[in-house]
Amino acid sequence: MLDFRTVREELPGPKWRSLFDYHWPAYEQWYLSEGERERPAYLACYNALRRHMPELMDTYRMLCELAGGGDLSARLLSLYRPPAYITGCSQAVLARPSSTVLARNYDYPPELCEGTILCSRWNRRRVIAMSDCLWGVLDGMNDAGLAVSLAFGGRKAVGDGFGAPIILRYLLETCDDVPQAAEVLARVPTHMAYNITVADRAGRYVTAMIAPDRRASIRRVPVATNHQKKIEWYAHALASETLIRERQLSILVDDESTGEARLVSALASPPLFRHDYGRGLGTIYTAVYRPTEGSAGFHWPGLNLELGFEDFPEERITVRYGARGLYTG
Amino acid sequence: MSSKITSIADVRRHFLNNKRPIYFISATNFNLLGIGDWVGNFRHINYIDCFDRRQRNVFVPREKFPRDFEGIEDINNYLLEHKEVIDFIQSRAQGDDAGIATFLMFDEHTEEVCEQLGLKIAFPPAALRSRMDNKIETVRIGNKAGVPSVPNVLAKVGSYQELLEVSRELGTDLVVQTAYGDSGHTTFFIASEEDYYKVAEEIEAEPEVKIMKRINCRGSAIEACATRSGTVVGPLMTELVGFKSLTPYKGGWCGNEMFAGAFSQTVRDKAREYTFKFGEALREEGYRGYFELDFLIDMDGGEVYLGELNPRVTGASSLTNVAAFAHSDIPLFLFHLLEFSELDFDLDIAEINERWSHPESIDSWSQLVIKHTEESVDLLTAAPASGVWRMEQDGRIAYDHYDSHPHAAENEHEAFFLRISGEGDFRYEGADLGILITRGRLMDDDFQLTERARAWIEGIRGEYAGQPLQDPVVEEVAVSHAIGGGNFKIL
Repeated sequence: MLDFRTVREELPGPKWRSLFDYHWPAYEQWYLSEGERERPAYLACYNALRRHMPELMDTYRMLCELAGGGDLSARLLSLYRPPAYITGCSQAVLARPSSTVLARNYDYPPELCEGTILCSRWNRRRVIAMSDCLWGVLDGMNDAGLAVSLAFGGRKAVGDGFGAPIILRYLLETCDDVPQAAEVLARVPTHMAYNITVADRAGRYVTAMIAPDRRASIRRVPVATNHQKKIEWYAHALASETLIRERQLSILVDDESTGEARLVSALASPPLFRHDYGRGLGTIYTAVYRPTEGSAGFHWPGLNLELGFEDFPEERITVRYGARGLYTG
Repeated sequence: MSSKITSIADVRRHFLNNKRPIYFISATNFNLLGIGDWVGNFRHINYIDCFDRRQRNVFVPREKFPRDFEGIEDINNYLLEHKEVIDFIQSRAQGDDAGIATFLMFDEHTEEVCEQLGLKIAFPPAALRSRMDNKIETVRIGNKAGVPSVPNVLAKVGSYQELLEVSRELGTDLVVQTAYGDSGHTTFFIASEEDYYKVAEEIEAEPEVKIMKRINCRGSAIEACATRSGTVVGPLMTELVGFKSLTPYKGGWCGNEMFAGAFSQTVRDKAREYTFKFGEALREEGYRGYFELDFLIDMDGGEVYLGELNPRVTGASSLTNVAAFAHSDIPLFLFHLLEFSELDFDLDIAEINERWSHPESIDSWSQLVIKHTEESVDLLTAAPASGVWRMEQDGRIAYDHYDSHPHAAENEHEAFFLRISGEGDFRYEGADLGILITRGRLMDDDFQLTERARAWIEGIRGEYAGQPLQDPVVEEVAVSHAIGGGNFKIL
């Protein structure tokens, strides 16, 4: 069971602090899972963030303060060289003359998902995003018309860089369009392999295959699942059915008659919708971003949530994840 | 009034009025106990809170995790990269100037971090210190300065035969030292092939070792400070070495005694003269500031030989800086701060040295470094608090009151105790339990512990209680902590 909450708070304040307080014990345990010494020192985190994402520093300082000003929370919040983690996910861009849609399924263990859809204005852009790692982003969009989404890249490489959620946050806080985002994705180091898909209101899109051990591959590809070019980690590829999902999405997107409704409906059915909750690869939600309209939809079987920058009510939705399907209430 | 410092009163006034933050960053504040009384805005930044948050000028980050540190440099780097420490330093900075940092140990990484934080290190560069710390280098500087070492040869040794060949003129009873290392860990006594094979690996791994003739000697320590006006020399102290009731390390340092009659007048004069010469030679090498020399006093011939150089403050600094001469003028460490300040000064060092060598300037102080000497590992459930302890006629001890300065122990029935291992810490062989500082002597003229010393050791040990480790997971953690890098020596 997972509670999804929509939270609107322009600048980090008491609402963010209460989210932090609620999730911190679990994050602390995760962050220390390989031993405290395995994580970089605060000064290294601070330096890495300042070097690669200087525009985030003011927000970072504010969040550290709200988190109590401690050493460990500040290190975690930098998301610099966090413990390794993997996810599933499918994502696709539907760029049609009338509008652009970035839709995705987030496949992950429900108990590890924060379930917070945050509407903020930390810098000059307004951002609606599904939160992860307290201020990172799994998927989201900004009011400049940029939408982003991440999927695990299906490779075991781990290295010197940042957790992908903060890279997505950085994109939404500092970029207006796909060319700007591509430049950031080529520059900012990641600590694991990720496929990041970005789309903008002008209909441009790219998928960046980023990894700690090779240069980013950024191409005009509308679809991403959990592998980068060729399969390297067969067990994960088999378990996550990444090739099947990629094929299915590619066929859908290539078909000019596919519209938003058809894509969303496909994401709600197998093979894209996955019930593999036992292995932590079940679909937790479907997100649909329409950067042209500045609106976002979140979908669960039998329940839809439509949100926009102007219309963002605070709500709570409880979703039960069972072997036979999802139940909302 | 001229801005040039020309008298001790000037130095004293300058540091009392000091506004620029000055830090001593180390595992504990032991080495510079009491310096805050002399220097305005002086703060200790430590990993271990010996005072349980009762000491205002000691800052210890609250959020800490048990770690296996590889040495004091490692602890200092951890502290300097810790958010609470950085926030603390920045909250007291004046613009880009965060103040002055002093250390017991630091390395090149510490230097990089300090530069970023805006801290100026009041010591010669780590690379120079490291070169000076090399025991082989010490012999060479001593030879150049006219300060003799125990008859020795410096050579690469690949086998016992080679050892005998290169040291033929020294006889067969030898002492071999590697270039770097703590007392008791890297000094090997070799009188037979069997002795050699026990330590052959360590000796043969070194590019060069110091091979000395074994002499019947007493250890002594003397601290000094090389300044641009000349080298200021403290008194010669005796060393407590290898007492089984204090340390598990054979030949390991475990305390000092300072008293006017430590060694004969001739020996004391010789040691002071050598220390002055060595300090001047260090300045020629580019080193300046605080340093300590160990002298080996040959009990048979009365010769004074250079032992080793510690280019830093040391475990003996706690005594050098509390004695009567230090309080009638200024503690030796203030000369160090003065040397690294931007102040223009011209002091009559010869006059100060003359005054400090007078027996009446030297009151008697002793310290014991008490380690856990058994092989057992347990979790401490009780530990004696830092402060002043009192000994009754029957030898029992009791806590008297809290204080942070050794001077608070007023007579020989009292002692200042600095607790290092506390409740919740693992007690393992070699762990520093605490340091006891008291007035008067703790060894007799034969260099044996006195009755009073033994009663204090027993009394302090009796205040510790530990819980056996029954949970295998906890035990494994504890043992790896003890056997891994965890058992760094505080000093």
